[in-house]
Amino acid sequence: MLHVALSNIKTYARRYIAVVLAVAIGTAFLAATLAVNSSTQATLKNSLGESYKNADLVAYSDPNLDPETTEQTSFTLKETDDIRKLSGVTEAYGLGYAYGQMHTSDNGYNVQVQPVDPKQGLGGMELVEGRAPLSNNEMIIDQSHAEDMGISVGDVVALDDEQGKAQNIKIVGLQRSSTNPQTSAYALAGMSEKAWSNFAGEQANFNDIVIKGDGALNAVTQEVQDYFADKKMKDIAVVTADQKVIDDVAQMTGGTDQLTVVLLIFALIALVVTGLVVVNTFSVVIAQRTRELALLRILGAKRKQIRSSVLLEALVIGVVASVIGVLLAVALLAGLIALLHALVPSMSYAAMAVTPVGLIVPIIVGILMTVIAASLPARRAMKLAPLAALRPFDSASVKNRAGIVRIIFGAILAALGVALLIFGAVKGDLIVAFLGGLLSFPGILMLASLFVPSSVAGIGKAFAGKSTSRRLAALNAVRNPGRTTATATALLIGVTLVSMIMVGGQTAKASLNNSVAAEYPMDMAVSFFDGTADEAKAKELAEKINDVDGVSATTTFASTTAELDADTGADMGLDGPVQLQLLSVNPEEFSKTVLDQQIVPKPGEIVLTGWDFGKPTIKIGDKTLKVRETSALLSGSPIAEETLKTLGLKNAQTYPGIIVKVDEDVAGSKINELVTEISDITGVDSSMIDGGVVMKSMFSQIIDVLLTIVSALLAVAVLIALIGVANTLSLSVLERTRENSLLRALGLKKKQLQSMLATEAVLIGGVAALLGMILGVAYGLLGAQSALSEMGKMTYSIPWLQLIAVLAISIIAALLASIMPGRRAAKLSPVEGLATE
Amino acid sequence: MPFWLGTLYSFSMTSETLPKIDYAVATRGLTKTYGHDSTRVEALRSVDVAFARSKFTAIMGPSGSGKSTLMHCLAGLDSADGGEIIIGGKNLLSLNDDQLTEMRREQIGFVFQSFNLVPTINAQENILLPLSLAGKKHDEAWFDTVIKALGLRDRLNHKPHELSGGQQQRVAVARALLTRPEVVFGDEPTGNLDSRTGAEVLSLMRSSTREMGQTIIMVTHDPVAASYADTVLLMKDGSIVGTIEEPTVATVSEALASLAE
Repeated sequence: MLHVALSNIKTYARRYIAVVLAVAIGTAFLAATLAVNSSTQATLKNSLGESYKNADLVAYSDPNLDPETTEQTSFTLKETDDIRKLSGVTEAYGLGYAYGQMHTSDNGYNVQVQPVDPKQGLGGMELVEGRAPLSNNEMIIDQSHAEDMGISVGDVVALDDEQGKAQNIKIVGLQRSSTNPQTSAYALAGMSEKAWSNFAGEQANFNDIVIKGDGALNAVTQEVQDYFADKKMKDIAVVTADQKVIDDVAQMTGGTDQLTVVLLIFALIALVVTGLVVVNTFSVVIAQRTRELALLRILGAKRKQIRSSVLLEALVIGVVASVIGVLLAVALLAGLIALLHALVPSMSYAAMAVTPVGLIVPIIVGILMTVIAASLPARRAMKLAPLAALRPFDSASVKNRAGIVRIIFGAILAALGVALLIFGAVKGDLIVAFLGGLLSFPGILMLASLFVPSSVAGIGKAFAGKSTSRRLAALNAVRNPGRTTATATALLIGVTLVSMIMVGGQTAKASLNNSVAAEYPMDMAVSFFDGTADEAKAKELAEKINDVDGVSATTTFASTTAELDADTGADMGLDGPVQLQLLSVNPEEFSKTVLDQQIVPKPGEIVLTGWDFGKPTIKIGDKTLKVRETSALLSGSPIAEETLKTLGLKNAQTYPGIIVKVDEDVAGSKINELVTEISDITGVDSSMIDGGVVMKSMFSQIIDVLLTIVSALLAVAVLIALIGVANTLSLSVLERTRENSLLRALGLKKKQLQSMLATEAVLIGGVAALLGMILGVAYGLLGAQSALSEMGKMTYSIPWLQLIAVLAISIIAALLASIMPGRRAAKLSPVEGLATE
Repeated sequence: MPFWLGTLYSFSMTSETLPKIDYAVATRGLTKTYGHDSTRVEALRSVDVAFARSKFTAIMGPSGSGKSTLMHCLAGLDSADGGEIIIGGKNLLSLNDDQLTEMRREQIGFVFQSFNLVPTINAQENILLPLSLAGKKHDEAWFDTVIKALGLRDRLNHKPHELSGGQQQRVAVARALLTRPEVVFGDEPTGNLDSRTGAEVLSLMRSSTREMGQTIIMVTHDPVAASYADTVLLMKDGSIVGTIEEPTVATVSEALASLAE
């Protein structure tokens, strides 16, 4: 049967293009996921391995080796020196870090200082300019930070150690910047071992000792191990440098494994959708080949031979498509990494890594998925009676027996899942709700044959109105309910998930915004902690900010420290005298800029924020003030200017600040610009400007990024489903060649025929998207409810515009999907069409 | 010389004589070729023919004689290479696809051998299909007349697969008659029917020419079917080679047999 199967593929190659495309995309997704994982590992290996470059062995403390120690032991200079003297050791260096601050004329930088080997043999230091540090007051620094600080070789800089003791030090060289994600937050500096030891003082300890050996590494390893054994340092492990890198990567990639798991879930969704497309394609192709297969039966083919012929076709297609998919993934990733290298030179350590497993697994999964999906239609083909070859074949509609088992099973899953989902939503238990979603969605999909065709038929009828061609399209769309269900389900899965996360995300955003508004009673606050502005200057700046677009009001405050006596401290549940930060404000202006009028102090009142004081009054200085409590978060306790004056505080440290109220209609995305503008005006770093809108915009941005990523991942599934719509339609058109030609003979224009097919595609695609959206909105709201209800009051919000966009995209894509089949159908002359079988 | 050759071209195709008889369909110099070089087949060799209004004409001939091609070209289903086809005062060869489609909708009716009906819609909707595609209302009285004549009153709500073969063909005839077209084409309309049902459908077609004045052109290879026609046109190798007026099964069979020689 092999040659029959192969010649079938050859003959009907066009019918398989779409299914090959769908399987290839699904497999590519899986392959890319696995390759992302292995490439991340390789990239980390590149960068984590930097320190161990050139080393043969690494000695480090592994607390697991000694049951009595729980903390990592570190090495001293003494041990490094001892190891150097061991036979077979040519070089040994401690890897240790001391921290300090470097000052240039206008800025300070955190530096991580490590001892460096002047011969550059060990430790990962790589000089790019100048020379290695030799004497006590010499240092090298990494290239990119040097550039940042405006330092060049020969400059003298001030360096503070951790105790704040300063020394002047000369920069004698520049080293290559680190790509190690664990260290790249600091400027990297290197000193000679002795200088470093002085600088680090008591902290002059090493985490690892890197060793270069001579001759047999085993012997050297033994030698070093023996040395530590003699010193009773049981927790010291001595391993090869390669082994150490592998261990470090494994330790660090706990996180990327999770990423891989998440990506795998999306790949799985894409594969399920692909499977539906495959089932559909094979069902249609076999239905069209009924006569041919039956003829084979007449000529003596056994049932099993028919089945294996179909499965063989699936196998060939699976192999071809999976290989294409994997190649596609590898090419895509290689391209992305090349792009990264070209655009971000500092990411030069990013490496592409493809493991044999990462190549073989997607291919096997792709093949298995195709064959398993095709086995259902293959079984149906096997049951064909030989006589079917002789029967004329023009039934109007196919009755698909919806498997009663599937319906019952689906109903049970759906009922159970929905119950759990609602329980989870009511109780605010995300895990229960998630489980409910996991059960109910497949359950609902199993029941799809009950509601998808009837929805398509109903909406089709309503949409058709009096137009004959649209009415025919509506009838055609549900001609084979099983096929329509499978096609629509594939799309429905993607759309449900996309709209679910959209609704969930939007609701999360709205709810977080509300809880932020409750906690942060101000939009923005700028504080001049460092005394860069006095009160008069602050007022002037506040006026300026008031003129900025998007700002509705500003006022100033003065933050003052008040000393409370021990008794009051005790009242607050604290020992001894307590300092209370007061915000002295002009109540009238203050009330115009804050969101929560609860925090506006009346004369003689103090507003205590954030904790439970529990008493009606508080004594500050000689005065007793009325207490007003709120749960809002504020950096101090608001008090009216006039009230503050009556307190008679002495020697109080005061700094001013500005409160900014932002126009309500300023979009979240504009907040950053506003912050930058205010930062420019005031000279206060933008990271020091905080408040409700800043938090809101941060939350919104995080949620938006997550939504974008998840939507992009799900888009793959939607894309595959749309290929499925095009596929089903083009196969149906082939099946209905005669009928379409009859319609053309009876007076259907080419345009009408094309629009009839477009209507059919739009009905299937649009109704699938609509049903998916309804499901997605329900899942999104229930999910958000169960995830967020603990945080307080929920604000339900449905992103109508985005949902309409999803619907519109589905409809447009369905229209596009109908173009090719429509053209082909219109091109055929009625005579040719009527002559076909 | 066979007797029927004597009547060949009893009508002449010159423009001066055309208006004398009322023709529903006429062609002049109609040619059509398939394939290239070695596979080249001249399906129609400059065919000049005219079909009288309100007559039932059958076109006969051996396989490959060009009878089906002629009918497809006349019906605007296939395009001819050269010549003229005049229906309702219009030359089909000068029309674009949309105009041709409108022509088929309004001026031409069809009854095919099989697969005549759209399977998703019921008999009545099938009958009304050409009119509803054109977005036009049908004439209730005429609809009733046609339905009554064809005995389809009880079958209007049935889907095609619920109808017998004969009933399906009668629905197709009703559909063809409903638009009162210039001409109805039948492509082996009884080819799939048993002889009794076939006879019933052919009688209906003949009476529609007699009683409703409908012009009908039918392609068939069955002498029995051809005997229902007023005139039989004989074709061979892409040319009209003879006509038989008032044909009987015997005359038609004899003519066919001598054509095959």
